[in-house]
Amino acid sequence: MAIHINGVFNNNLINSIKSCKVLVVGAGGIGCELLKNLVLTGFEDIEVIDLDTIDVSNLNRQFLFQKQHVGKSKSQVARESALRFNPKSNIVSYHDSIISPEYGVSFYKRFTLVMNALDNRTARNHVNRMCLAANIPLIESGSSGYLGQVTVIQKGLTECYECQPKPVQKTFPGCTIRNTPSEPIHCIVWSKHLFNQLFGETDDDEDVSPDAADPEQVGEAGKNALASESNDKGNVNRVSTRMWASSRNYDPKKIFHKLFHDDIQYLLSMDKLWQKRRPPIPLKWDDFIEDESCTSSKDDLIKDQRPWSLAHCREVFSKSIDDLKKKLNALKEGDHLVWDKDDDSSMDFVTACSNIRAYIFGIQQKTRFDVKSMAGNIIPAIATTNAIVAGLIVLQGIKILQEKMNECKTIYLNRKPNPRKRLLVPCVLDKPNPKCYVCSEKPEVAVQLNVEEMTVKTLEEKVLKGGLNMVAPDAVVDGTGTILISSEPGETDANNDKILKDFNIIDGTRLSCDDFLQNYNLLVTILHSKEVEGEFKIVGDHEKLKKEQEEAFNKKEQNGKAETAVPGGSKDGFASIVDDDDDLVCLDDSDVRIEEAKKRKSEPEPSEVSKTKKIKLDSEHEIISI
Amino acid sequence: MVLHGNNSTISEDEAALYDRQIRLWGLDAQKRLRASNVLVIGACGLGAEVIKNLVLAGVNSLKIVDHRSVTEADSYSNFFVPHDSEEKNVALASLERVQNLNPMVNVTAEALEISQICDNYLSQFSVVCVCGGSKEEISNLNNKCREFGILFFAGEVYGMHGYFFEDLIDHSYVEEVKAKVETGKSDEKESSEETKMVKRQESFIPFSTAIDIDWTSQKYGTRLKRTTPSLFILNVLHEFSFLHKRRPDPSRREEDEIELLTIKNSLLDKLSVPQGKLSNDFVKSIFGQVSPICAVVGGVLGQEIIKAVSGKDAPLNNFFFFSPDDGAGVVENFGY
Repeated sequence: MAIHINGVFNNNLINSIKSCKVLVVGAGGIGCELLKNLVLTGFEDIEVIDLDTIDVSNLNRQFLFQKQHVGKSKSQVARESALRFNPKSNIVSYHDSIISPEYGVSFYKRFTLVMNALDNRTARNHVNRMCLAANIPLIESGSSGYLGQVTVIQKGLTECYECQPKPVQKTFPGCTIRNTPSEPIHCIVWSKHLFNQLFGETDDDEDVSPDAADPEQVGEAGKNALASESNDKGNVNRVSTRMWASSRNYDPKKIFHKLFHDDIQYLLSMDKLWQKRRPPIPLKWDDFIEDESCTSSKDDLIKDQRPWSLAHCREVFSKSIDDLKKKLNALKEGDHLVWDKDDDSSMDFVTACSNIRAYIFGIQQKTRFDVKSMAGNIIPAIATTNAIVAGLIVLQGIKILQEKMNECKTIYLNRKPNPRKRLLVPCVLDKPNPKCYVCSEKPEVAVQLNVEEMTVKTLEEKVLKGGLNMVAPDAVVDGTGTILISSEPGETDANNDKILKDFNIIDGTRLSCDDFLQNYNLLVTILHSKEVEGEFKIVGDHEKLKKEQEEAFNKKEQNGKAETAVPGGSKDGFASIVDDDDDLVCLDDSDVRIEEAKKRKSEPEPSEVSKTKKIKLDSEHEIISI
Repeated sequence: MVLHGNNSTISEDEAALYDRQIRLWGLDAQKRLRASNVLVIGACGLGAEVIKNLVLAGVNSLKIVDHRSVTEADSYSNFFVPHDSEEKNVALASLERVQNLNPMVNVTAEALEISQICDNYLSQFSVVCVCGGSKEEISNLNNKCREFGILFFAGEVYGMHGYFFEDLIDHSYVEEVKAKVETGKSDEKESSEETKMVKRQESFIPFSTAIDIDWTSQKYGTRLKRTTPSLFILNVLHEFSFLHKRRPDPSRREEDEIELLTIKNSLLDKLSVPQGKLSNDFVKSIFGQVSPICAVVGGVLGQEIIKAVSGKDAPLNNFFFFSPDDGAGVVENFGY
């Protein structure tokens, strides 16, 4: 209740709310709650966008949806349900991706406020840039389990979403995955890679065969190798896993033998690996007998939580391969499957493979339930947290409409009250980072890469789009004016496979990059380096900042832990860590990170103004995902 | 209507529906949740939020009780009430939409006054949550619940402000504690973090003991500075409701604002609390029930009920206050 009942709000606020045009990005967990709060408060002009459809696992919290809505568009059903709470409201819904070029700066400029109810960093980065370009206030939010946070972004006044570097994705070294797994997650990652090798989109970075170029084995690479020669990169030559399996008609027994026997034998031949490790045990199809142990016992557990015997893994392995083969064959030539945690055969396949591999390496086996959490990168979301977060979003919106930008806060929902008794912790909004490569006046960034190896295509896909979050970049070599990358389809295709050096790009060359949709210009300085971890590294001030933060944090660690008993989200890792599960399709499936303990600024108690010293609190919160 | 099964096994349908929360709080907590029977008194904006959160979470049964007829204000705060239901009983009018949230929960509604709730009636519930009500009604109900060992919650939203109180009597719960564990041989020690479940116990006191504080006592005199002013808003509103037998009314805003300030002045004097502890501005923001605030307070309150029935995680002992000025949610421990 608010504007409909005279006397609740003053007339100025009533008018501001009535005339406010608000864009809600995301109709998932937070989005459903947000729409309810908005229409009840009296917002009458709302547009909501979401590309996702309703799944049964949404229904425990996305209360605008019911069982009969499963499979339908989230934004459309959310609109219909919310309108019943206040028939006077106007809601326009879009079943679409917010990153689509149709939603340009002029689209955003129609709104008074933009409210994010997203679950992935890619979309958050994009909306952040669009709101900066359109100069519209953005209220950003996120939730993860019991934790939540809300903040306000206003160009020139506050930090933008990208002012602070986000923790990078947790990745595992290739040789750990391929040669020396030691934890269940390593086997799960391997199995997902295997899925892609066999049925999905193949990626050279996802090889599942033994890596003979393991640094621990250097000098002896392939010395005692059983079979096939290894190529110059160390991969055992086996045409491609896909072709190999295909030529054997995806015979589960043959695939099993290859993966769990021959490849393991090969690994054993790399004896240096096993000097300090438990060597793996090659497994044959008939090495274990049928049993029924997985069904009878532990009746009080749900099916997915019951452990599988090895024989059961083998059975599921065989059945899921048959199913997936059929699905693959039903596709057009050249098409491929996409791994999906909600697809039963895909989940079965990964559970079976990872448990068989875990057994071979003496690693703890996991239930299908746990494998799904890890492989599907599920960040559990609950109704209460989302309700609180959505309430706080509207509260911030009301402050903005009252022109009380100075009273807007970043608010964290903690799991427990902090030492100052706060469960909901308001913190001052930080000033923009003057060196931010997104919101500063003349955005600049330095990127370390190898100009003798990197192709133009990789620069576009991995650096400009993947690393720097552009959608459709143009890139011109500063000085010469050479158009390296054009957002006009086809215009610079001829450049794609050429390496940067071919365009006289050397250490210190500057590229003027432009994203028309985001209305974003970025000057990229290339730093040539032959030894870059990964293919590239974003350095410069961005990196410097991060280092300083780490140092500050370490210092804090040493200075005693008086306040460390405070769990909670962290500002620095903001929202990148607090994702609302799978409410919106994660554009980057491996939106993964291990969130380290962070510091944060907490506001001084009003009655303790004398001590305006900012108290830094550490967070115990940790999210591990793949 | 497909209800939760009777036995202790969670069905595969339930596992699919509650998948995400089971991943968060575990199967045991979910089983306890669906064995709980909840009474929510007061189908107001805050009540609606609590009801939504508990029905979604999957309690066994939930009964909604309210004696009031639907007003225009209800249809903009209790979102379960359809817009064409004026003059119907507000609890009964909410029933259909509440049930639609989750067909597995047994949802019922009844037109009853708090004073009509007898011991026999109460004893069928494991949790009672009263939204609204006078200080006296809350105290009486709380005392009755104590006799039956029923978990008790009381809360209210006034405009942009909100609070709740909880009394779990003697509560046992488990809590995850992270501990460093060292594994491996002495020469190659590897330390890893392991989560352990620790059993804990916490005692609570009833509302009547908690709400009346002697600010002249040494203990509370020194605490006053760190105490949230929101407590005194609650004191003033309780007094207003005692004197006028109603909440402050948005349509009588001018006169009620004056009356509230009069009450504030005399009450703080009586309590020996300096007038400056509570700024007069509070009267500007305490009319009606502002929905986003219901969502925040009802969200924290709902989670407390889930924690309490599932016996997992430390409860908030014993008050929660939300302040709209800075958005802080403060937990206070009064009356001990």
